[in-house]
Amino acid sequence: MERREVTFRIKRFNPKKDVRPYYQEYKLTVPRGMTILEALQFIKDEIDPTLAFRAFCRSAICGSCAIKVNGFPKLACKTQVFTELDKFKTSLLTLEPLDNMEVIRDLIVDWDGAFERMKELKPYLIPDPKVVPDTLDEETRVYPEELKKYDKFTDCILCTSCYSICTATQIDEGYGGPFQLARLYRFAVDKRDGLKEERAKIGYAYDMWNCVRCEKCADVCPKHVGPVDAIMRLRGISIDIGLKDNPGARHVLAFYKSLMESGLLNEVLLPLRAKGIKGVLENLPVGIKMILKGKAHSPIMKPISEHESLIKLMKAAMEVE
Amino acid sequence: MLTYDIVIVGAGGGGLYAALETSRCKGLRVAVLTKVYPTRSHTGAAQGGINAALGNVAPDSPEKHAYDTVKGSDFLADQDAVELMCEMAPKVIREMEHMGLPFSRLSDGRIAQRPFGGASFPRTCYAADKTGHVMLQTLYEQCIRFGVEFLNEWFALSLVHNGERIAGLTAVNLRTGSIVGIRARAVILATGGHARIYWKRTSNALGNTGDGPAMALRAGVPLKDMEFVQFHPTGLRRTGILVTEGARGEGGYLINAKGERFMERYAPEKMELAPRDLVSRAIETEIMEGRGFEDEEGNKFVYLDLRHLGRKKILERLPQIRELAIDFEGVDPIEEPIPVRPTAHYSMGGIDTDKFGRTSIKGLYAVGECGCVSVHGANRLGGNSLLDIVVFGKIAGKDAVESIEGLDFVSFPESKVKDEGERIKALFNSDGSEKLSQLRNELSDVMSEGVGIFRSEEGIRRALNKVREIKERAKKLKVYDTELTFNTNLQQTLEFLNMIEVAETIALGALERKESRGAHSRTDYPKRDDEKFLKHSIIRKGDDGELRVSWKPVVITKFPPEERKY
Repeated sequence: MERREVTFRIKRFNPKKDVRPYYQEYKLTVPRGMTILEALQFIKDEIDPTLAFRAFCRSAICGSCAIKVNGFPKLACKTQVFTELDKFKTSLLTLEPLDNMEVIRDLIVDWDGAFERMKELKPYLIPDPKVVPDTLDEETRVYPEELKKYDKFTDCILCTSCYSICTATQIDEGYGGPFQLARLYRFAVDKRDGLKEERAKIGYAYDMWNCVRCEKCADVCPKHVGPVDAIMRLRGISIDIGLKDNPGARHVLAFYKSLMESGLLNEVLLPLRAKGIKGVLENLPVGIKMILKGKAHSPIMKPISEHESLIKLMKAAMEVE
Repeated sequence: MLTYDIVIVGAGGGGLYAALETSRCKGLRVAVLTKVYPTRSHTGAAQGGINAALGNVAPDSPEKHAYDTVKGSDFLADQDAVELMCEMAPKVIREMEHMGLPFSRLSDGRIAQRPFGGASFPRTCYAADKTGHVMLQTLYEQCIRFGVEFLNEWFALSLVHNGERIAGLTAVNLRTGSIVGIRARAVILATGGHARIYWKRTSNALGNTGDGPAMALRAGVPLKDMEFVQFHPTGLRRTGILVTEGARGEGGYLINAKGERFMERYAPEKMELAPRDLVSRAIETEIMEGRGFEDEEGNKFVYLDLRHLGRKKILERLPQIRELAIDFEGVDPIEEPIPVRPTAHYSMGGIDTDKFGRTSIKGLYAVGECGCVSVHGANRLGGNSLLDIVVFGKIAGKDAVESIEGLDFVSFPESKVKDEGERIKALFNSDGSEKLSQLRNELSDVMSEGVGIFRSEEGIRRALNKVREIKERAKKLKVYDTELTFNTNLQQTLEFLNMIEVAETIALGALERKESRGAHSRTDYPKRDDEKFLKHSIIRKGDDGELRVSWKPVVITKFPPEERKY
């Protein structure tokens, strides 16, 4: 049985007692197959009972044990020590609490803010009396393809990994948050829900257009939920219900218009279409430089040779969606 | 001191359903106290599904469901309670569907149903292999909608009553470390199971430590049928993590080292879909008789083969199982069979209640796995535990609301809070000559050997003596962490003390029940003995601290006991 000497460098902090966080190192011999959670429990049992971390189901369904392993959010229970050692070509693993939330103690963070935000977004079905039967003798008919629209987004286990690395959450206090917006979308496309598309307005009010599509939420999600997909679709719904008068929506529509007109991106008209005169003024210095360097094209563009096929393709894609 | 009308302890399916039921009554002050965040509760780990005679796939009826449940229970279940549960099943399923639960669907839009062990028809409603997860999430969502109040990450310490009526409970706020008395006119325990007693080989979450039954026992409230612990046939080889019965429901085979589908010898008709007690014994027998596999670490196992189901079906119906097998065993079920062995899974026994969840103390209720109605008797059928928690959570919630009307609070002596403080202080001041992990492993070993899948007088006696010895030694456990904030060292120690207390009742019940029935299989008494043991065992702790065993008749309505064949 293969065994390796591993150093776990763990960030410790008790705000009630410590002036600042510090790192403590624990060395142990790890057998193949051991998970990070098993290593943490081993340290607690055999070396240091004061180490604080959360864990519960140990089978990747409860979402308690998300921490940072060498900088990346992971569920400790389903992450093998050897896999991480091989990935980082190291014998040292740094374990830290998740970011974007305050530390309560050691690896335990304060989830309350993230969950309170979710609650503000009405994360529950409000049955539509026109769709959901008013008697318990009947079930709502939901066809498999209707379920498919939101099924993936019901896999979220609220581990807050996505929230902890979300760029928009870091800079915008009014931002809804990745898992929170994904849950909002899940109900927006559930035929049983009474609010349905109206939910896009909630997303709009909670700055969903501030998502910068860095896609980190999709990268780190242990359940492959990909909140960013939900946010993009919720934006789509918001445009469909007429919430077009904002830079984000106009930016998207400008892209769309450009492609429909010529098949190319019209960079000259883009600022005007997205932000109006303000956009033009904002982009003026760059625009002038582009003209001087010969990088700017004419605002009137000739369609590309296969433009009709492109339009066909786009329409087909939209139908599939 | 905090004050509520009703306090619900535990936020799994049972606790949340009870909470939703109470929230219908405006003006009541209700709190759900949970040692985790609600959506972490172990209900979320239930995979395969929830039974209800919807008859969406094949004609079915609540009566047939009741018969299968009673037969599965080896005729120990109380039939009036079973009938009530099966009758209510279709309605609660639809109620949850109306709350937004994303059930898997048939092509005509109705709720899909799959075959499960011990059932005569495909009766198990499901959401792929994440049924418990979506149930827990949906119920929690609705609790948010109806403004249910939660005390998250609080750990319940003791029940307070005046011998007749409940006064409330004491608990520690894990976040601050403060010990608080909580007055309540009704308390509903929904703390889940206790299979963590089999620490080294269980499908259970780290916190399934029998907190509810242990508190009840200490408070003089009787426990019922504690000897019955279900071993799920298919736990992953190394960790005991659950592989849903749905895997066999979808057509998975069990294969021994000779390449045989050995269930042929044990249940020729039902094969892999025989009830869990039978399949677990079959696997253990294969292993004991040398027809199992053994890996280099010494883990013994058989194979669960899903390959013939094909990639599409596995990805569609069992996606999480596939991922668990890859993450925890390095095996992709599409390409290779999964190494499995029975794992301690479910506690049929629990706090003695009637079919409204009422206990011997007025105003104190128990629902779900911590309680024992009993609807599972000596062996629970797959898909009936999720049903149990929602049906009886609902019933108890409603009953609690009705029962407290016009009732005043019972006096709650402040000294009770102090007592718990002293109990905890003693743990900090102990000499520490015993070690938590050591005792936990010893308890696990002794329980698996003496009161595991196969039992005998000699083995059970040894286990009981050893448990009592561990209980004594546990007085020397020391909590080394002296901080107030999130003291998980203290929490794990308190949980262990709960486990030993419950373990003793399992061994005692097993000793007294001199027959084989359901999950309780005695090599020295291999037959079921209806004449002597068609009754529930009741264990109560006297004021002198001694455990006393008594018996209670089984309620039989429609289904006279018969031989159990599959």
